[in-house]
Amino acid sequence: MISMLSENEAKILFFLKDLKKTNSVELAIKMGIPESSVLSLIELLREKGYVKTEVKSEKHYVLTEEGRKRKESGLPEDILINTLNGQEKDLNEIKNILNKDFNIAISWAKRKGLIDIKEGKVIPKVKTYMSSEYLALSNLERADSNTINLLKKRGLIEEKERKIVSVELIKEPKESEIGISNLNRELIISGEWKKYKLKKYNVEAFPPYYTISKKHYFREFLEKVKDIMISLGFKEINTGYIEMEFYNFDLLFQPQDHPAREIHDSFSVEGSGKIEDKDLLNNVKEIHEKFWKYEWKQDITLRLMLRSQTTATTARVLASRPKAPQKVFTLGKVFRPDAIDATHLIEFHQLDGVIIDNNFTFKELLGVLKEIFYRLGIKEVKFKPAYFPFTEPSVEAYGYLEKLGWVEMCGAGLLRPEILSSVGIDSTAGAWGIGIERLAMSFLNISDIRLLYSNNIEYIRDTKVKIE
Amino acid sequence: MVTIVLNKYKLLNKIGIGQQKLEDLLFNLKSEIKPVDESNIEIEINADRLDLLSSDGIARAIKGLLEKELGEAKYDITDTEYKLIVDNVRTRPYALAAVIYNAKIDLQELIQFQEKLHSTIGRKRKKVAIGIHDLKKIDSKRIEYREVPLSYKFIPLYEKEELTISEVLEKTEQGKLYGNISISNGVSPAIVQEDGEVLSIPPIINSDKTKLDESTKDLFIDVTGTSFEAVAQTLDIIVSNLAEAGGTIGRVKVIKTDNSFQQSSPLLIHKIQNVREEYANKILGIKISEEEICKHITRMRMNCNVENGIIRVTVPQYRVDIINEIDIVEDIAMSIGYNNLEPSKYISTNYGSYDYLTLLERKMRELSIGAGFVEVFNFVLIKNEKILDSKYVKILNPISEEYNAVRNSLIPILLDFLSKNQHAKFPIRIFETGDVVIYDSSTDTGFRNDKRAAYAIMDNKVSYEDVQAPIHYILKTLGIEVNYKEENNDIFIEGRSASIVYENEKIGVIGEINPDVLIRFGIEYPTVIAELYITEIAKKLNKR
Repeated sequence: MISMLSENEAKILFFLKDLKKTNSVELAIKMGIPESSVLSLIELLREKGYVKTEVKSEKHYVLTEEGRKRKESGLPEDILINTLNGQEKDLNEIKNILNKDFNIAISWAKRKGLIDIKEGKVIPKVKTYMSSEYLALSNLERADSNTINLLKKRGLIEEKERKIVSVELIKEPKESEIGISNLNRELIISGEWKKYKLKKYNVEAFPPYYTISKKHYFREFLEKVKDIMISLGFKEINTGYIEMEFYNFDLLFQPQDHPAREIHDSFSVEGSGKIEDKDLLNNVKEIHEKFWKYEWKQDITLRLMLRSQTTATTARVLASRPKAPQKVFTLGKVFRPDAIDATHLIEFHQLDGVIIDNNFTFKELLGVLKEIFYRLGIKEVKFKPAYFPFTEPSVEAYGYLEKLGWVEMCGAGLLRPEILSSVGIDSTAGAWGIGIERLAMSFLNISDIRLLYSNNIEYIRDTKVKIE
Repeated sequence: MVTIVLNKYKLLNKIGIGQQKLEDLLFNLKSEIKPVDESNIEIEINADRLDLLSSDGIARAIKGLLEKELGEAKYDITDTEYKLIVDNVRTRPYALAAVIYNAKIDLQELIQFQEKLHSTIGRKRKKVAIGIHDLKKIDSKRIEYREVPLSYKFIPLYEKEELTISEVLEKTEQGKLYGNISISNGVSPAIVQEDGEVLSIPPIINSDKTKLDESTKDLFIDVTGTSFEAVAQTLDIIVSNLAEAGGTIGRVKVIKTDNSFQQSSPLLIHKIQNVREEYANKILGIKISEEEICKHITRMRMNCNVENGIIRVTVPQYRVDIINEIDIVEDIAMSIGYNNLEPSKYISTNYGSYDYLTLLERKMRELSIGAGFVEVFNFVLIKNEKILDSKYVKILNPISEEYNAVRNSLIPILLDFLSKNQHAKFPIRIFETGDVVIYDSSTDTGFRNDKRAAYAIMDNKVSYEDVQAPIHYILKTLGIEVNYKEENNDIFIEGRSASIVYENEKIGVIGEINPDVLIRFGIEYPTVIAELYITEIAKKLNKR
């Protein structure tokens, strides 16, 4: 009985059968059990003559309680900069927002040259900020020594000694030696189980790591937005990422010589498309030349690009010359050249919708927008006159977000009569486009847009699900 | 969106209101204010409202909303003896000019105004370019617009000595920026005085001779371009805003050398636009009278009267954005204030409907979670070197080599993801669904989006069946019974990959990744992957 192997001992030996040689740290990771348990198991195996061991010790770093807290909430100076969002604010106002983190935030932000303080006002020098210390908290192994020193100095991590035991297999266990501390069918029905004293477990210990499969947090938000549009009676449609300039620009009354159509504002793709509807092409040529006074060119309109707005999908709906009433929406990716940082990506989502109905009014359009935002959890909305080439009257909707204040959410308007007549629609129509990423960041409480597309599996595994 | 920077105190003083009031009123004129420093503010102007690109235009509009002044702004106009003789200038045939007497100019702001007009209606000087001169430094009443050879000499603005036009093109910043716009066949457009001395070389640079300075009172303004209408509108806007500040507009006689055209410039083009009361009310969803409509129009600084039940709006020269009845309707709404229009309660009377692909994708995502895969979500754009075959869409003008192509499969996307997670807790079981772009000659662009689902497992030890089993039963649960047909390519280990076949159609691939590929991606552990073609499956399920 004494040479009987426990289940975990057997597991280690099984593992060593493949590897021959390993160490306690690696075993703990691969088996998903705590290092302390691994160390005692190895000692037992050594006593039983299965393995040879060698003990070394090594320094490593672990998060302090403060460090764990900051990993969850962010570093004070990061929060400060991202709260300011490029705007100056009174010190007192900031004090109210940051409370007891105020002093730390100000002193570190100053030390790092992120802010100036003048006459009781904090003036940020950058719009967004994510410190290397914060990133290091999630991944201490990869942090450089400067950052480690900083973290130590700030009391976010502490040095610990760690015993590493290297293990080498010297004797393979015989089958009969592997005791099964778990019950099995034979033991139960034969009554054999009575002969053994079943080993006690440490039932109060935490379990090994276990992956919970779950849906992606940002995808869940996108699907929620779709559900809202469906609940409002809209039909979902989707079109391709590769688009002709005709649908992205020309049909939307954007003149071909307009600065917004220059090469640095959208991604070009080689080749050109084809449009069978010659009447439509002629109508668009006519309104462009009549109102914008330039020579409209067909080869430009057929050029290919990555769509820069989902309004291209709306344009395709219009080009199909639909009969009123229509309520359709699309939610998809658009692409625009930009510098990638905490608030900008070169690909992001837009929600575009259009209502085509007899006597659809501007006030009704405002009502639709208000209702969409209400269902997204934004109760306060205000409207500002705006300019888009394809709508008149045009409007921008601002929503009130808890942390950010009034934020521009969407552009909208009634489609210009020139456009409607070019596709033979004789009723009115309202259309809008909503940027989704910023809403998602607010909804998911994420301060860096890149985290919506994190490629760190541990970050994704660690995200909590929202109950609502 | 265009932004201008103005001195806050000067502006507030000009209008006679406080900053908060200014902010509120500008909000209703499509504009927003941001502080720049102690005394300057940045104002965002929408690209249609060119009249608001200087403080005087803003003042004019705001006085209307405050009802300090209503209707069209009236300015002093006088005749002058100045003539602009327009020759046949082939690359930018149109030119107009005007004089401003007693201009109250803020030099910095005037230059900003000029530059903002250049970048908007001027299309970076291609369509329209503006030259502003100190009138008293011009020696003749007769001014010519004609072509001159590139060997022609003058002292360009802020230079010390004479340069030929060719030298201007090579040596000056402006020459490099704008030199290629209008020069052709060895000649350049030029504005010259009677003795042939250059006043400006549109659209590149003025002559130093007529430079504005602190003592400048009277201005000569030339506008040249490739569109007559844009040239006329630009000049109308400039003279209107200078006149708003208190200047007097002086008319210049513009004559074509072949006598095909003779006109008093600026044109100060007024347009009559009729508005139907019923139309305005119907569009906005309100009910207001003709008189009220007219009142709003005058608050927007246009004239309005009602004749035989028709509302006639006189659109002044500074409102070049008004092109149709609907534009007047927007102005009515702006005068009312968008936030004074009570949004109609939205009530849906019908059910919406999902794209079938969305429904199928959702079911597949649920089953994939059930099969123990964690969902990941990556970019559509990718570095072309990571793509595993040669048929993909390349971006012609990428801004980063990391994102210079459009993904044509989710396999490299997942491999890239795994490569960044070599030290995470094992096993790693991930999946992603989403669109890729593939060639399709049956569509109007030659490409189409194709929806895919891809699954990957990376572990110390993993094999074909580890991914085959879950996807097999995911498909089976959807009612899809598939077969596997061995199919080898460079991505997978030979003999360990297959195409997934359903009703004789390939609906996916599966296999163990070739170690060569693993190394290329920086992956150190065995990896298996399957990719399913959701769009193909949807077609098979016959619902689309």
